[in-house]
Amino acid sequence: MALLEVRDLHTRIKLKRGAVRAVDGVSFSVEAGETVGLVGESGCGKTLTALSIMRLLPAGGSSPRGSVLLDGRDLLRLDEDEMAGVRGNDIGMIFQDPMTALNPTMTVGRQISEAVRIHRGAGKRAARERAVEVLRQVGMPSPEQRAADYPHQLSGGMRQRAMIAMALAAEPRLLIADEPTTALDPTVRRQILELIDGLRERLGMAVVLVAHDLGVIAGHADRVNVMYAGRIVESARTARLYAGPRHPYTEALFDALPDRAAEGGTRLYSIPGQPPDPADPPAACRFAARCRYAQEDCRTQDPPYRTDEETGDRYACFHPVGTTQRTGAEPAAGTGIAAAGREPAPVQLGDVLLEVTDLVKDYPVTKGLLRRRVGTVSAVAGVSFSLRAGETLGLVGETGCGKTTLARLIVGLEASTSGTIRVAGEDLAALTPRARRRRRRDVQLMFQDTHAAMDPRMRTRAVVREPLDIQRIGDRAFREARIRELFEQVGLPVSALERYPHEFSGGQRQRVGLARALAPAPRLIVADEPVSALDASIQSQVLSVMKDVRSEFGLSYLFISHDLSAVRHLADRIAVMYLGKLVELGPAEAVRARPVHPYTRALVDAVPVADPAVERGRIVTGAGGEPPSALDPPSGCRFRTRCPAAREICARQEPPLARHGPDGHQAACHFPLVPLSAEEVDTRRR
Amino acid sequence: MTPYLIRRLLQAVATLFIVSIVAFWLLHLMPDGVARGLLGPRATPELIAREEHQLGLDRTLVVQYGIWLTKLLHGDLGTSPVYHQSVSALIGERLGQSAYLAALALLITVLLAVPVGVLQATRAGSLTDHTLTTLSFVGYAVPVFFVGPLLRDVFQVRLHWVPIANQIDSFHSALIQPEQLVLPVATLVIGLLAGYSRYVRSAMLDELTQDYVRTAVAKGARGRRVLYRHVLRNAMLPMATLIGLSLPGLVGGALLVEQVFNIQGLGWLTVQAAQRDDFAVVLGTTMLTALATVAGSLLADVSYAALDPRVRLT
Ligand code: SF4
Ligand code: SF4
Repeated sequence: MALLEVRDLHTRIKLKRGAVRAVDGVSFSVEAGETVGLVGESGCGKTLTALSIMRLLPAGGSSPRGSVLLDGRDLLRLDEDEMAGVRGNDIGMIFQDPMTALNPTMTVGRQISEAVRIHRGAGKRAARERAVEVLRQVGMPSPEQRAADYPHQLSGGMRQRAMIAMALAAEPRLLIADEPTTALDPTVRRQILELIDGLRERLGMAVVLVAHDLGVIAGHADRVNVMYAGRIVESARTARLYAGPRHPYTEALFDALPDRAAEGGTRLYSIPGQPPDPADPPAACRFAARCRYAQEDCRTQDPPYRTDEETGDRYACFHPVGTTQRTGAEPAAGTGIAAAGREPAPVQLGDVLLEVTDLVKDYPVTKGLLRRRVGTVSAVAGVSFSLRAGETLGLVGETGCGKTTLARLIVGLEASTSGTIRVAGEDLAALTPRARRRRRRDVQLMFQDTHAAMDPRMRTRAVVREPLDIQRIGDRAFREARIRELFEQVGLPVSALERYPHEFSGGQRQRVGLARALAPAPRLIVADEPVSALDASIQSQVLSVMKDVRSEFGLSYLFISHDLSAVRHLADRIAVMYLGKLVELGPAEAVRARPVHPYTRALVDAVPVADPAVERGRIVTGAGGEPPSALDPPSGCRFRTRCPAAREICARQEPPLARHGPDGHQAACHFPLVPLSAEEVDTRRR
Repeated sequence: MTPYLIRRLLQAVATLFIVSIVAFWLLHLMPDGVARGLLGPRATPELIAREEHQLGLDRTLVVQYGIWLTKLLHGDLGTSPVYHQSVSALIGERLGQSAYLAALALLITVLLAVPVGVLQATRAGSLTDHTLTTLSFVGYAVPVFFVGPLLRDVFQVRLHWVPIANQIDSFHSALIQPEQLVLPVATLVIGLLAGYSRYVRSAMLDELTQDYVRTAVAKGARGRRVLYRHVLRNAMLPMATLIGLSLPGLVGGALLVEQVFNIQGLGWLTVQAAQRDDFAVVLGTTMLTALATVAGSLLADVSYAALDPRVRLT
């Protein structure tokens, strides 16, 4: 018998506009010691499935129907008290964001020992000792001290370790991990996933891994269940699924991965449209409206599961991949331009548009009565690069590397400590305020969190018109015409002008954000993590639109992201930042394929590959630990505390940014991963 | 922490200084001076002039203020021309019973508001919740000058549950006749309880939707444990601020209650003094209220920091 068996699970959530069938007939099982993945985009019901197993539904959630058998015992039939005895004891759960999931006013040690005290009836001392022991098990550095810390005193990765320790404190047989790495930095993500893998092996527990990204699952799950609109559409052993998905939705998810598209040289696929309304799903295939294989029967009947008796693999589709010709349109990018079938013209590079020289931004840290300056947070520490008209530079780095500060400096939201920023050859600081305002028009910002960046009481028409009003461009009629034109370009219907920001989905809102950035006809758009908050298929929609408008207007982008693969799709060149320093800069493909700096290498390795064979076999040199504080950066090379190649000189001397290959590939490292060519050694000597 | 405290104390002194200037200036704008008030409507201008000279009122405002401030720095609030007594002594006689009344009311309010708020939050939307909400709005909406006399009428005059009696004119008399304080305290509590219990209710509801609550349940904590170990503590943090900030209102604001129940406390003294143009006493009680305000907000911030590990005072 399987350890966990979920049978025909139904969960409804009551919202203002009616009951939503969030989980609608989900069945799967988990064997002891096995990792089972639950993958799908936001709103597909994967998290609610996990929460239903734990019976931890949010307000408005009905009690789930169906059965959840843990060792044959139906959890849905237990009373609240019995269920409390299961939670944390038989099933441990970890959540997405360890910052909000931990109690801010209780030390992590107490939070962990609480689980032991509840289930083991242990005394204070014993429970505390156990807490320290589990913290050690999850690789927490100096666990005794950390146990006395409050959550806010820990870094993101350490918090997630504490969270895992809490879930494991009473040695559950099943661990449910709900997007355990989504809120973490790429190099830390891998550490956490590997930790979960290792613990599973050592403790012999089973794991349910919930994720929105096929890449994350690849190397870590034995079996993957793909969910769409409240149901499992395909369930297969991992290797089988990645070798050849049967369900068109699974295939579409693969095609929407930027890395796959880049590798195959294909255009990034974006799944058109939106998932069906979960309050009223069609009585047919739920994916039909977006499916490339849909036929008449798909729109009238609900496809039953086809199960392979031997392996248990199953999928719900009338016309699985490989059996029928695709009927739908090929890669739809969703804009008027691409829909018209015009392939964007190759980008023509113009003159230097943006030139940043020795840019420094320090934030003073003050203390005491007289606000004495006791230190400096070195957010941006001497960064230089240039960007030509029509070019896209991807700027990559983890939390706290200074990339957002750099963006704010460039768009003029903050003043630099020293260094210059030239736009089209003019030093912004040297201009008169009027001329500067005029120049600012050329550089626009696109935010990550469009929800927070838009006034909720403004209709989108006003949101997009705002920059035109501020810059006093054109008259009323001109502005209105311009807004309509912009909406068409970013692939939004004109009716969307009358709506409010919250009425849009994340991807649509990001299009509104792009339209707003485009409004004053800028030459450069600084996009700060524009797609990080979006689902993979929606990400590719927004990226495609960004790509289309770029070639249409000859725009430049400074595309900022913590994720190398998102940047890769759009960027001509990639710059990598670490703790305020530029550590590598070069042509996008070269930086990714032949990274010179150990940190870039760690970032490349941190990108999960959606191929279990590759992912499992990978030897990762990756960086351990987490970035140190920018308040007191390490001497010499700032990366040395995490660098596997660090030697004594790295602490003494800061490596300069030097040439490391053709096309201006540069890196700052004493022991580069790619040796210098003879010619380069030669030029160095001179 | 220490530098923070020093800075805040300096700020407090500066605040009090400014309050004293404004109050001093405003009080001396009163149309008929204190002298006429003392001497009656038929006093001749000569008499008034002589009285004013004696009181030092004929000097410039700046000089008067200088004298007052110098005395204040020596701990002397001046002398009341009406009572012919030192202001500090007058306040001292009244402060005890007022503070006692306020502290008692505050304590009972908090002790009632927390369980009521918690009950409402855990049963949000139920009949109990709605009933308590309605009741607290009624308490909130009905003014003290209505509740006070009503209580007095019902419990003293008709039911004789509380003897109609002696006025409270000293701290001692407040201590030895606790029955005399029942109604005034009840009046104050009715006015305060609504705000506090609503506050507890919404803070609890806020906290209950936080992710960490779900985490606590996920590790197997049962209802009560989640409520008392996790939620309540976090919900109570802002209470420290609320209490600190309501301090001045209580010190000066039991004014109406003191009138209604004939308690000769600080509020009563202020009203009397104001009616008789006794600027020295009004100035003194004003400064006391300002002091309570400043101290209350400092207390609120410090206790908040002590309770919440995320807050560091720098
Ligand atoms: S049943 Fe039809 S619409 Fe649904 S996924 Fe299969 S082919 Fe597409
Ligand atoms: S300079 Fe040294 S520490 Fe820095 S990245 Fe290179 S090898 Fe590592």
